[in-house]
Amino acid sequence: MSALIQLNNVTKNYRRGKEGIAIFDGLNLTIEKGDFVAIMGPSGSGKTTLLNLLGGTDRCDGGQIIFDGERIDGYSEGQLAAWRARSVGFIFQFYNLMPVLTAAQNVELPLMLTKLPARKRRDNVETALKIVELSDRAKHKPKELSGGQQQRVAIARAIVSDPKLLLADEPTGDLDRNTANDILRTLQQLNRELGKTIIMVTHDPEAARFANRTLHLDKGTFAEVTA
Amino acid sequence: MSLMSQTRSVIAMNVRSIPQRLWMSVATVVSIALVVAVLLGFLSLANGFNQTLKGSGAPDVAIVLREGSEAELNSTLSREQVDLLGRGPGVKVGADGRPIVSGELFLVVDGIKKSSRTKANMPLRGVGANGLLVRKQAKISQGRMFAPGSNEIVVGAGLLREFEGFELGKSVRFGAQTWRVVGVFEAPGTVFESELWADAPVVQSLFKRGTSFQTARVVLTSPGALPAFEAYAKSEPRLQLKAQSELDYYAAQAERSGLLIRYFGWPLGIIMAIGALAGALNTMYASVSSRAAEIATLRVIGFSGFSAFMGTMVEAMVLSAIGALLGVAICALGFNGLSASTLGAGFTQVAFRVQIGPEIIGQAVTLALLIGLVGGIFPGWRAARQKPLLALAA
Amino acid sequence: MTDFDLVRKNLFRKPLRTILLTVSIFMAFLIFGMLTSLNVALNRASESGSSAERLVVSNKINFTQPLPIAYVNRIAAIPGVTGVTHSSWFGAFYQDQRNSRFVGFAVDPATYMTLYANDIRLTDAERKAFIAERTGVIVGKSIADQYGWKVGQTVPISSNIYVKPDGRRSWDMKITGIFTGAKPTDSTAALYFHYDYLNETNTFGRDQIGNVAVRTASSDLNTQVAKAIDAAFANSPYETSTVDEKTFAQAFLKQAGDLNFIVTMVVAAAFAAILMIVSTTLVSAMRERTKEIGVMKTLGFSSPRVLRMVLGEALLLSTMGAVLGLAVSAFILAGLSKSPAASTFGDLSMAPIVALSGLLLAITLGLVTGAIPAASALRMSIVDALNRR
Ligand SMILES: Nc1ncnc2c1ncn2[C@@H]1O[C@H](COP(=O)(O)OP(=O)(O)OP(=O)(O)O)[C@@H](O)[C@H]1O
Ligand SMILES: [Mg+2]
Repeated sequence: MSALIQLNNVTKNYRRGKEGIAIFDGLNLTIEKGDFVAIMGPSGSGKTTLLNLLGGTDRCDGGQIIFDGERIDGYSEGQLAAWRARSVGFIFQFYNLMPVLTAAQNVELPLMLTKLPARKRRDNVETALKIVELSDRAKHKPKELSGGQQQRVAIARAIVSDPKLLLADEPTGDLDRNTANDILRTLQQLNRELGKTIIMVTHDPEAARFANRTLHLDKGTFAEVTA
Repeated sequence: MSLMSQTRSVIAMNVRSIPQRLWMSVATVVSIALVVAVLLGFLSLANGFNQTLKGSGAPDVAIVLREGSEAELNSTLSREQVDLLGRGPGVKVGADGRPIVSGELFLVVDGIKKSSRTKANMPLRGVGANGLLVRKQAKISQGRMFAPGSNEIVVGAGLLREFEGFELGKSVRFGAQTWRVVGVFEAPGTVFESELWADAPVVQSLFKRGTSFQTARVVLTSPGALPAFEAYAKSEPRLQLKAQSELDYYAAQAERSGLLIRYFGWPLGIIMAIGALAGALNTMYASVSSRAAEIATLRVIGFSGFSAFMGTMVEAMVLSAIGALLGVAICALGFNGLSASTLGAGFTQVAFRVQIGPEIIGQAVTLALLIGLVGGIFPGWRAARQKPLLALAA
Repeated sequence: MTDFDLVRKNLFRKPLRTILLTVSIFMAFLIFGMLTSLNVALNRASESGSSAERLVVSNKINFTQPLPIAYVNRIAAIPGVTGVTHSSWFGAFYQDQRNSRFVGFAVDPATYMTLYANDIRLTDAERKAFIAERTGVIVGKSIADQYGWKVGQTVPISSNIYVKPDGRRSWDMKITGIFTGAKPTDSTAALYFHYDYLNETNTFGRDQIGNVAVRTASSDLNTQVAKAIDAAFANSPYETSTVDEKTFAQAFLKQAGDLNFIVTMVVAAAFAAILMIVSTTLVSAMRERTKEIGVMKTLGFSSPRVLRMVLGEALLLSTMGAVLGLAVSAFILAGLSKSPAASTFGDLSMAPIVALSGLLLAITLGLVTGAIPAASALRMSIVDALNRR
């Protein structure tokens, strides 16, 4: 196995008022291709910040972020956007679907960033919805779907353009146990059958059990916890 | 809690929440203010023009024109007719023991309007010694009256304001003739202020009018003497002229001329008002939806739908009232008293001042409040029907 | 799905809000369409039948002051002049001085019909009949239609200026032709009859005329010829002022007041109002969507593309309202053009230039109202946008 992601000595500070506070001060991390990693840690430990750095939606102040052999920390805004569209799928705690679009249209959204012909797009959307077992709700607006169904649509949106990496920030934080387990099984399946590399932030130890390994983030450094 | 105090506290909450939607509320206020300013601008333009025409006539002065002439410009009278008019019934006698009659000429000459720097029609009135006697409002404010038999003119203060080159002491040319400005007269709020006056016999000779006049003004002993004088002017075989009170003459002109501006102003005001109303509705719907949770909570703890309705309603009315006030202020400070001039019924420029009045302010403010009322009713209705609990989930 | 679909769906997310905004914009463009068209029509009406090729000679004191008829021949002799005719304002009306007034001129038929052959369209037979018949009159089609007048009929035409020796003010005139304008849209609410017929029966201002119209060999000569004419009569009791017809007509229109200024002010007020309404509403609508924009950017939509979509939404809104407003005003104007009351304005229908500038205005409005939300969408950081609850 080779590394998909490598963080070398990454630093990140936030300015609050006049003084800056260091979230990470020399963080190192390697994530192998095809891994499913859960990240746990107390609130405020920087989990979301880490995902933002990995997903290129935030910038680090120092160090290197290497994705598939390429440094992305030096990318411009435009390069980052294009890279995200290609390589990363995002799954949020509160689904973040577009309320004006149907489930199918929400899934189609990332395909607007590709040059795929309409026919191919429709196929991809159908496939993605089939994977999350929501083909029958394609025409529904988010409002007409339950929380679990909305999260499935969000997962379909995250995988439709076939990215290597999926980033999920507390994907089951808003769901009941059974629904959460369904979602987690789906993620596991994506990891095992399609080989997606998944990094999932969670507060729930049960959820973490679905991952291959769990990292514990505290005070800006990792401690591995074996399942 | 009583309905009254419920309503009062909801209104207070609404009004206090306006700053949360500050810019949308400001937009509503400003758009209503602009509606009021535009409507009021047109109405006060019409009003100023009408007031000037109406203020020009005196009830005890008869103006005599040739039968069938509607304007002084088109009329002709002979010297003999003017003399005969003085012998009519009810004509007031002056200090010199002679009837107060002023035979006058009314000609159009070119001047350069200051505002457009283009040629425009000015009235040149040939008046006699009685010119000032038949116009009690008029008095010389600078310089002196023209000397009889000379090429001297006096200019009205309004004409001086609107046209170039008529300052005291200047020489002006009409065709090949040169005249000297020797005085300025004031006749506030009348059309006469927009005129040039010169000695009638001089005008007759320089404009080749022989001994003829165009109109005559006759001072009567009282307004009640008019019917008898009118009958005399009409039936005396050597006259056969139309006499009418000067007041009526200008009132009729006002009736006709003011219409255009007024018929322009109202449709425009209403179209703009509908546009502003749509904006007000948007703001008020935004107000209701931003407070949906708050309203629902209040409903849960027992506040009535009516109080929710009134809260929204009063918010809308407050916004429109501020808008109306602002609009009136814009008009009062920006336009009121401005000097303007337009082509009057006499085919010459009439200078007047834009004039705001309580009646037209009332009309414009009513329109603004109507915007507030309609802009409050529908969103208020939505607020009143807000389900007690559902909104909490949203 | 295309970007446009997304823009459209976002715009109509709250249909009531969008409809209300469209109404505001619609009203502003209705005002724009109507007022500017009226203004254009008035300017055009004042110029219809007037051309830069012809000069008008009038009394220097004012155009209502007369000129001696002898001037016609003296002007004809001035070098560069290729045609001369004259006309005198009659103050014409039929039956009722207030409601049936028209433009009426006493003219020299033969020369007038030569100089204005293009503006007063008659058949050759009608023209010959008019010139031959001393009491003949030609009337515009709109008047003939209004009163049901036919060629051959004799009608009494009154003047509010001239009086006959017997004190009457009405002249019996025989209709020898019904004319149309150069363009179907030109106003034809006018009549022309023989100056000689008026002059011989008139008590007032005999042998005096109103204005002289001059045709020059070339419009390049206009300034020079005008100067020569005015110089010829300088220091006489009747000095002249000679300008081209267009200038003359525009100066006359200006007398009513500065319509351009009023139209500009009203249109500006209407647009200031909708500018505020639309931009503040769009800002608040966009604020509600901050998180969605953050999500779009997270998915990989570039900032410029998001900016284009936000601007596109504002543009779509403003052009929608504008097209509706312009279309409805064009429709109303077309209706008004057909009504006889509006015939004095000539062609009221919307000029292409009005429609075009309306569309440009709509684009400007869209860009201006979309500017603030678009700029904030461009600058918005993903982290901040997603933190928003
Ligand atoms: N935009 C910001 N500006 C300033 N400080 C920030 C910002 N975003 C995050 N922080 C701070 O950085 C730290 C890490 O935040 P982060 O959101 O990554 O925590 P987290 O581990 O995801 O917590 P939670 O489990 O509550 O989601 C916190 O102390 C937070 O207050
Ligand atoms: Mg977090």
